[in-house]
Amino acid sequence: MSEANTFITTSRPPEIDTLTLGFIPLIDAALLIIAREGGHFAAQGLDVNLSRENAWSTLRDKVAAGFLDGAHMLAPMPLAMSLGMSRAPCETLAPIVLGTHGNTLVLSNRYAEGMAPPDPNDPARNARALRDLLSDRLIHHRGTPPRLAMVYPYSWQHLQIRAWLERGGVDPDNDVELIALPPARMVDALHEGQIDGFCVGEPWGSLAEHHGIGRIVASGADLFPGHPEKVLGVTASWAHRYPDTLSALLRAIQAAADWLDSGEEAQQQTLQWLALPPYLDRHVSHLDKLPLGQAPTMQYLTHLSLHPEAFAVMAAHMRPLAESRGNRLDPEVLARCYRPLL
Amino acid sequence: MPLPLKVLLVDEEVVRAAMVEEALCQEGHEVICRLSSPASLNEMVARHSPDVVIIDMESPDRDTLDSMSLLHRENPRPVVFFADQHDPDSMQAALKAGVSAYVVDGLVAGRVKAVMDVAIARFESFQSMRKELDRARNQLAERKRIEKAKGLLMKHQSCDEEQAYRMLRKLAMDRGQRIADVADSVIDILERLEKGL
Repeated sequence: MSEANTFITTSRPPEIDTLTLGFIPLIDAALLIIAREGGHFAAQGLDVNLSRENAWSTLRDKVAAGFLDGAHMLAPMPLAMSLGMSRAPCETLAPIVLGTHGNTLVLSNRYAEGMAPPDPNDPARNARALRDLLSDRLIHHRGTPPRLAMVYPYSWQHLQIRAWLERGGVDPDNDVELIALPPARMVDALHEGQIDGFCVGEPWGSLAEHHGIGRIVASGADLFPGHPEKVLGVTASWAHRYPDTLSALLRAIQAAADWLDSGEEAQQQTLQWLALPPYLDRHVSHLDKLPLGQAPTMQYLTHLSLHPEAFAVMAAHMRPLAESRGNRLDPEVLARCYRPLL
Repeated sequence: MPLPLKVLLVDEEVVRAAMVEEALCQEGHEVICRLSSPASLNEMVARHSPDVVIIDMESPDRDTLDSMSLLHRENPRPVVFFADQHDPDSMQAALKAGVSAYVVDGLVAGRVKAVMDVAIARFESFQSMRKELDRARNQLAERKRIEKAKGLLMKHQSCDEEQAYRMLRKLAMDRGQRIADVADSVIDILERLEKGL
């Protein structure tokens, strides 16, 4: 942990003071938003611009090209980037966790009718109901298999939707059609009938349910308890070039997390900040409080410390997917990607 | 003339899409479609089997395209992100211009690069067109504010337009500011006076 200590105790000023971090509109971008709006970045001498991105692949490419200094990333993304899955390899690091859990699986009313609320003791219960629906051919929507969306191939959402279907006896490769859509498109796409369900982080699942467009039928937390969902990601070359800037960033995010843990008032303020137009805008107006540590999502935002074991588990789940594409999951690369610096 | 390619163009910016389409057609390529609807992107690729898909970097549909080869390995044709590792400069140029491309696996890189160069050039000229337009809009807005400041000065100082303009110019020179900025503070001060604040 000596490296971790040098990172948090260094008091050298940051090498650069103006940076841009990318984020995707999701509840678990909150710590970056708090650090900016609450002045925690400024307290570390950083002027941080937060850039809302429309797609995970675009966020990924902008970080790799240096157009963004770093970003709110899906937990598997730094590994996928380092191994060169989907694009040219770019060694990427994740020093802290920005969010734990938070994903929901939503089906359109047509499919979810008669299904029970998510059950932590039997997370695949509704998947069995879906299997029965599909095998009885009771549903002939569009004349094709149901089309389900997740956010990115190398994501917990993809792993969760596959695991849920498999545990319920539905073959994710043949019984359904899987596509990727960015989080902010999910609710509209479900409403317009372009998709029949999705797996995505909050607030999009609860928003669909709030509008009566679909229903939450499973929770990612029940399928993979304890999974780290989002991380802060920076390229290795950026981290080596600006170590003091990185430690200032981490101190600011730690301060934001400590503040968020301070109580109800901080949570309310956070919700108000999230509702600002550059962040989640009106898409959190259905929430009267920040849903932290509550069923079904069991979302946590302040468990910053990165536990390499949790990422080894994640990599093990990703292995079949990676190997089917001819990528070898190198344990050394894994260890380099997810190194705790706090 | 290079061998023609089938190009699917996904760009909601109508003017830019038309620019790219025209330029590619001139080179002899076949440009299929330029409307976007993310969920039907799979069907579009399956139906038209394009050699190259050119997409606006900022399009929310990028993730759908980006994951297509991983999720649908047989059908539609594999479409992989075109990131020419041997030529990081053109990769940077594409990102800067805001364009990305997906190609059929195995297509000769040189043929794609020619198409990419055309797309990058059109995206870049659209970008500078838009910058020019923004600048023109800003100038117009500034002119309006200067007119407003002149009007207020004419009323409060009982002077003519020429004198009001000279007052603004002198203030700007004294303060080392731009006339538009001086106009802003003149408007601010005189409007407060009018409201009796």
